[in-house]
Amino acid sequence: MAALLDPQLLRRLEALALRVRRAVSGQIGGERRSTARGRSVEFADFRSYSPGDDFRLIDWNAYARLDRFMLRLFVAEQELPLSIFVDLSGSMDWGRPNKALTARRLAGAIAYVALTSLDRVRLTVFADGPTSGGAPYRGRHAVADLFSRLQSFPAGGPTDYSRLVWPIGKQRPGMTVLISDGLGESSIDPAIAALGRARQEGAVLQLLAPQEIAPDWTGDARLKDSETGLEREFTSTPVTQAAYLEKLAARTQEIERAAHRRGLRFARLSTDQPIDDMVLRTLRQLSLLS
Amino acid sequence: MNFLAPAAAVLGLTLPAIVALYFLRIRRPTRIVPALNLWPDQIRDRQANVPWQRLRFSWLLLLQLLAAALLVAAAVQPVLSAGTSLARHSVVLLDVSASMQARDVQPSRLDEAKRQVGEIIDQMGPLDRMTLIAVGSVPRVVTSVVGDRESLRRAVSATGAGNGPADLSAALTLASGLIRPGDDAHAYLFSDGIVGPIRTDSANALPFQVDYRRIGVSGENVGLTSLVVRTGAQSRAAHLHLQNFGQQARSFSLEWRADGKLVDVLKLTLAGGQAQDLVLPVPTDATLVSAHIDPGDVFALDDTVVAVARAPRAFRVLLVTSGNVFLQQALSLRSDFEVDVVAPPDYKSSAQYALSIFDRYSPTTFPSGPFIVIASPAGSPLAGGPPIGIGRVRATDAGDPLLTNVDLQDVHIARSQDLNASKFGRTLITSLQTPLVLVRDEPFRQALFGFDLHDSDLPLRVAFPILVQNLSEWILPPSVPSHSFHPDEAVTIVPATGATSVTVVRPDGSRRSLAGSSVATFRDTGLMGLYTVEQAVSGKVEKSWFTVNLFSEQTSQLKPIERLTLPPSTNTTAAHAARRSELEIWPWIALVALSVVVVEWLAFHRGL
Repeated sequence: MAALLDPQLLRRLEALALRVRRAVSGQIGGERRSTARGRSVEFADFRSYSPGDDFRLIDWNAYARLDRFMLRLFVAEQELPLSIFVDLSGSMDWGRPNKALTARRLAGAIAYVALTSLDRVRLTVFADGPTSGGAPYRGRHAVADLFSRLQSFPAGGPTDYSRLVWPIGKQRPGMTVLISDGLGESSIDPAIAALGRARQEGAVLQLLAPQEIAPDWTGDARLKDSETGLEREFTSTPVTQAAYLEKLAARTQEIERAAHRRGLRFARLSTDQPIDDMVLRTLRQLSLLS
Repeated sequence: MNFLAPAAAVLGLTLPAIVALYFLRIRRPTRIVPALNLWPDQIRDRQANVPWQRLRFSWLLLLQLLAAALLVAAAVQPVLSAGTSLARHSVVLLDVSASMQARDVQPSRLDEAKRQVGEIIDQMGPLDRMTLIAVGSVPRVVTSVVGDRESLRRAVSATGAGNGPADLSAALTLASGLIRPGDDAHAYLFSDGIVGPIRTDSANALPFQVDYRRIGVSGENVGLTSLVVRTGAQSRAAHLHLQNFGQQARSFSLEWRADGKLVDVLKLTLAGGQAQDLVLPVPTDATLVSAHIDPGDVFALDDTVVAVARAPRAFRVLLVTSGNVFLQQALSLRSDFEVDVVAPPDYKSSAQYALSIFDRYSPTTFPSGPFIVIASPAGSPLAGGPPIGIGRVRATDAGDPLLTNVDLQDVHIARSQDLNASKFGRTLITSLQTPLVLVRDEPFRQALFGFDLHDSDLPLRVAFPILVQNLSEWILPPSVPSHSFHPDEAVTIVPATGATSVTVVRPDGSRRSLAGSSVATFRDTGLMGLYTVEQAVSGKVEKSWFTVNLFSEQTSQLKPIERLTLPPSTNTTAAHAARRSELEIWPWIALVALSVVVVEWLAFHRGL
């Protein structure tokens, strides 16, 4: 745990909470406003008493005025189901700082915020297919376990976003954070579309290394794809670098449009950005955390 | 084109070396990238390695080969050979004399010369300059130190031939004056060599070497070199001299005309070098007679000659003397003189005389017109100092036209007035002691003898009638000159007494007006043929004539001179001239190579 996130950062993260735009419905009680009525301090409505109702909820003041038994209804506070999908494909195991490492730390930080808010966290890592990060985590005591699992998955293999459609589709409505570089051979669009269909709100976080954002080399090289292992001879010149950057920008724009179309937030992050800055500033600006 | 460093051509091996580098494959370092599909499929080989591969088209390869080729070209230091034979300043002396109109080379000698001048203009380098001088009877600078080849071509093209002789001496003097000390100059003379003799004053060393380019090939020509109308006791006749200047016999017809009407046609045959004199009849009422050779030959200027057949207009001359038989006899030789002799006491006025001669007599008032005063009495305005003994008599200028054929070698004069202090005019004949004969042009042509003819043996010498003839023709030119003038020769026209206007009608009909009050020199005699002088006197027009003919055996000779003796040159830089006129162009090539390298660099960085 200590290797993944700094304790000082963890303390600062405890002050944060995930921010949802609409009420969610969890399975067990929590600190989130739920679509269901339940026990909380927040008044929701009145209704006539029916035999069998909890007489503790009878509003006696209303009985005195109306001579009828009225029942006070309160908003039920339930947990927030948070799903974190972390791309650990071969392309993520690249860059200085390493994108996979940064993705683990970012996922750990978001998960920590959720767990300390009594939200339920489901972790899924993926490359050419999804791998469950174990049973859903809930409560502060699950943090160590979650961090441990995060660090246990090796990075490698090609990216196949279409394999995420099924695990995303079976989720209950809630929040999902997808962390990926979006650079696989396949398109990320099916996965984002599945998020929309599963009534997920959340964010798509594109994580890139500074060396991809601004290539730091020129000249001749034999390029090798980190996922497929394919190789190609190449000469890097200002013109070819401009063409690369143009394609990268187009790919980023494509992901951003897909995310916004499904009501998801989007941010492109660079791994040279400090993790606390990434979480405390960027994600708050993104209204993912508050 | 020459090369100053041909050994540097070895550097040309860099070209195949560059190509070889492109044949070789590149050893490329492997770079792992997150997504290969983001990188464009672009590849260029620039580094050497094995194994060999097929040569692929590359703009960079082309640019590098071009840059290398240009650098090799600059390294061998090419120099343009254009202008290698030219000095920095070329002086072209173009003969435009009459003989250059000969058509023994087509279309004419002058056109051939102009063509050759054009070749020199073509050889001029960008820093070369040319001065073009037309060598005629009066040399003329056509263009001076011009580098624009188009202007030079236009100037050469516009230069036409004249009918006069070529004064090469004056042309060389003129050209020398245009050369500054230290100039790298070289002169080219385009001529047939038929030029006047080189005078001593221009035979001094020239500041340039003269390259004589002979123009013309043949001397085959039959020419009419003299036509004179003589009036005898009974009739008038024309004396015609013609000559075959060539080597081959030639048959032709001679057409003899009077006032344009055909009088006679003679069939003649002249052997090579043969000359013939003909006496031809002149009709009494004819004004102009002409002879013409048919068919013409390569030189047309001497195929037609003209002469005035009219008797000259008479001049009234007054001789005031107490008796001078020598003078009377000498004056009577002028057939157009009507001499009235009066004794000094009978002298009243000279008003109606064209010329007055005062022998040992001085009138109270000298006439406002031409006169000759001989031994003016002491005390008179033109009298000199006391008589002094005279030693050897000599001419002030032996070349003076007034002394032509006048031999003063055996002339002795006992005594003469001292004319040292006289301001009458220039000295014609002089001695160690005092000037003897003075002449002046203004206001009228007049002469002053300081000695009495009787104190001298001059009247007994053959020189005397010749001197009187020369002086009288100078003072009063005959209305019909006894000879023909040459083209461009100055003709002195003395207006008749009372003439209000003098006009010269040229052979082409053009008219030239002269001042009617004084002696005029008419120089516009470039055309050959009959010139008519019209003078308005008392409301009437009096006509006189003169003719201009080639009449130059030297020109009609026509054979181009093989070798001209020209003055030596002080210019010793001719050997260096060729070297300096070479234009080194390697800096420009190197500049272009640098530009190509820059383009290659830009192309590389733009990924071409």
